[in-house]
Amino acid sequence: MEISREFVQELEEIVGPTYVHTDPVDLQCYAFDATFEEWRPDVVVRPATTEEVARVLRLCHEARVPVIPRGMGSGLAGGTVPSPNGGLVLSLTRMNRILEIDEVNMTVTAEAGVITADLQAEVERRGLFYPPDPSSIKHSTIGGNIACNAGGPRCLKYGVTKDYVMGVKAVLADGRVFSAGGKPIKYVTGYDLPALLTGSEGTLAVVTEALLRLTVKPTVVRTATVVFHDLDLASQAINKVLWAGFVPATLELMDDTTIHTVEEYLHIGLPLDAAALLIVESDGRDEKVVDDEMRGMVEIFRAAGASEVRVAKDEKEREALWKGRRSVSPSLARRRPHKLGEDISLPRSAIPEAIRRIKGVAAKYGLPIAIFGHAGDGNLHPNILFDRRNAEEWARVQQAMAEIFAIALELGGTLTGEHGVGIMKRPFVPQALDPVAVEAMWRIKRALDPHNILNPGKVFPAEKAL
Amino acid sequence: MTMVQPQVQNVVQELAARISHDDVLRCIRCGLCAYTCPTYRVEECESMAPRGRLALVRAVIEGKLELSPRFAEKFYDCVLCAACTSACPSGTKADAMLLEARHVLFDAGLVPEPVRGLLERLETRHNISGEENAGRLVWCSNMEHAPTGLGRSQAETVYFVGCVGSLFPMSFSIPQAFSQTLDLAGVEYALLGGEEWCCGYPAFISGDVELAREMAAHNLEAVRQAGARQVVVTCPSCYHVFTHVYPELLGEEALAGLKVLHATELLADLLESGALRPAAVPMRVTYHDPCDLGRKSKVFQPPRRVLQAIPGLELVEMASTGANSLCCGGGGNVESSAPALVESMAGRRLAEALDTGAELIVTACQQCKRTLSSAARKRRLRLRTVDVVELVWQALEQTHSGGSR
Repeated sequence: MEISREFVQELEEIVGPTYVHTDPVDLQCYAFDATFEEWRPDVVVRPATTEEVARVLRLCHEARVPVIPRGMGSGLAGGTVPSPNGGLVLSLTRMNRILEIDEVNMTVTAEAGVITADLQAEVERRGLFYPPDPSSIKHSTIGGNIACNAGGPRCLKYGVTKDYVMGVKAVLADGRVFSAGGKPIKYVTGYDLPALLTGSEGTLAVVTEALLRLTVKPTVVRTATVVFHDLDLASQAINKVLWAGFVPATLELMDDTTIHTVEEYLHIGLPLDAAALLIVESDGRDEKVVDDEMRGMVEIFRAAGASEVRVAKDEKEREALWKGRRSVSPSLARRRPHKLGEDISLPRSAIPEAIRRIKGVAAKYGLPIAIFGHAGDGNLHPNILFDRRNAEEWARVQQAMAEIFAIALELGGTLTGEHGVGIMKRPFVPQALDPVAVEAMWRIKRALDPHNILNPGKVFPAEKAL
Repeated sequence: MTMVQPQVQNVVQELAARISHDDVLRCIRCGLCAYTCPTYRVEECESMAPRGRLALVRAVIEGKLELSPRFAEKFYDCVLCAACTSACPSGTKADAMLLEARHVLFDAGLVPEPVRGLLERLETRHNISGEENAGRLVWCSNMEHAPTGLGRSQAETVYFVGCVGSLFPMSFSIPQAFSQTLDLAGVEYALLGGEEWCCGYPAFISGDVELAREMAAHNLEAVRQAGARQVVVTCPSCYHVFTHVYPELLGEEALAGLKVLHATELLADLLESGALRPAAVPMRVTYHDPCDLGRKSKVFQPPRRVLQAIPGLELVEMASTGANSLCCGGGGNVESSAPALVESMAGRRLAEALDTGAELIVTACQQCKRTLSSAARKRRLRLRTVDVVELVWQALEQTHSGGSR
């Protein structure tokens, strides 16, 4: 779209000329996220305060300029990529101050642009703990985590981002600022607006500050790897562990394709004949309790048919056990130039069947699909490996992706567990959600953002489909 | 425009020929490199992140972006610390591509003005300062005892001083300390004086590969003329260029029969064998890994071995250390075009050093020393930075003068 010189000048007056970018070189750097969606914005603005955000939004609201709020742009669904119409990228990375750590009430108040790992490090210095741990922990921001309701390996035990958002300061599309929520743990005065904004992918308002709940940092961690030659046995074993009352801090799964890919890259002796490799962790503050929990889980896994269980004796062994899981990404990148990492979410019981069916899709389309993910909560990451420059291959990938989504929905699951809908999953939303529910969402959207300037073209299926 | 177009077209082809599309595509755009990138962490701006810079290369190769001075700027404001490559989960060799882009930009005449000035000095004077190269031994002119290497034209070992130690008064103490240490240990060495040229690294990373090659060839010839079989350097960039770039510029055989050592490698052996006996230095210090020595040349342990050989000294590591060490900001010739950026980068490193509770930062690089010291002064911080060879000499001098405790 056309952005006038006057509009740019007004932006420069608000945030200062240093923080308004219109050179194609700068715009190109904000044209993408961690997907391969790519559209250049018309202007990038980097405000430093809520007040500046408010003034920028007021301007955009009046001029009907689309606004794409952005943290570190590590999203996996295209949520921070401009639409083909361009617009204004609102980068919040300069808003990176931690405003308060309340040790008595165990909360932290931080601006939206604080990097999650930095926030964690800061609260951990005081013995506190912010559990959500998306794998992008070092390259995503609190604002981005809230926008996508980010999860991570720890969420079976500790919950996802929404379980920690107690309050927000946010800016509406028309530039009005509001605060919602607060430090009381029980808070039911009115609608839960912090919860509404969490997972809204920047379509309802721009969160500029968050009040987050903290817990006490676990000081003891025990790690084990468990090998199964049969997916169903693995699934049954996980259920037995949970029924026994254990809540592992981590329960990660790698399927055979993933195991093979990592082993080809690292040669660390992963079991090539295994159907599933689990990484299990127990954590807490009492060594005996944590050891007992790990021992109890190991006994159940062994009795339930695990062919091998290894418990790390020290930090060095723990690192060695994690090495395979941490190397999934580089090993996949070495196999093919592109990967499409999905994050379907399933009822836990459906995991074995979902993996079997996805393997069928891989065979049908002749594409390697590595599956790994969070076995405890049912969130799986099937990663299709391919070369996008091959048009015919890319067409097969798209068909395979559609089938994977269909499988998730047939088995009672959903499209995405932690990445969000963004651009990439919006065509599948009508199949995934009740039409009346979509209509209700759209009404909320229109009530808060009547001109549809906040991250248009995301989450909702095309308007004509509404 | 019609005049410029063919040239631009050539550059795009050059870029595509020298940086393969496959290599750029290896970047999965996750953004993890931004977290480790010292320029990004100061500016918080995608065009200052390795991912952003690689996206620019890709956009040019794919025909989506035209070359411009702004494009060039984005490559010359990278400190070339290689933290991105070290952190990359998909094995993208970002540092190599960012450097290659500078080579292409140089060939296209898109070098920023301050860098052009540096290249002119290198070409005419054979050093970075622009002084007469014959004055390269000025650092020893006011020493009480002239270093023995001064009068020696032939020796097993050449001490290659480097431009900064030779010509910048603030850094004279480094070659002064190291030459005296060599004399005390009885190591026979020669100094090349005016026959020592800039190592070639500043030219190489500015994009002028031919000038770097010329300098490399001259220096190796000068070393051979001295009959040396060993070159010892106090500058990490000289070390990196001798060990990693000379073979690339002149072929693997260029270094045949020649051993290149960083001062800390030699000192660690001399200290551990008892040939040098430093007095106690009862201090808590932290060690700052220079990028060219640590991450880029994999010399992590020798400087630490040196520090551990000094009695009474306690070494505490910073939060980012070794292969994950944070650049002081002094790399990549960024200083000449963006001094404020460098100052802010140094500030972040100083904050990490302060967190350790150390009384002193020790490094093994005159440039890191200069960058960190000047940023500390600006912040009125009472935290000094010294080169490890200075600290060693200080401790040896105490033993020598009988003043040891």
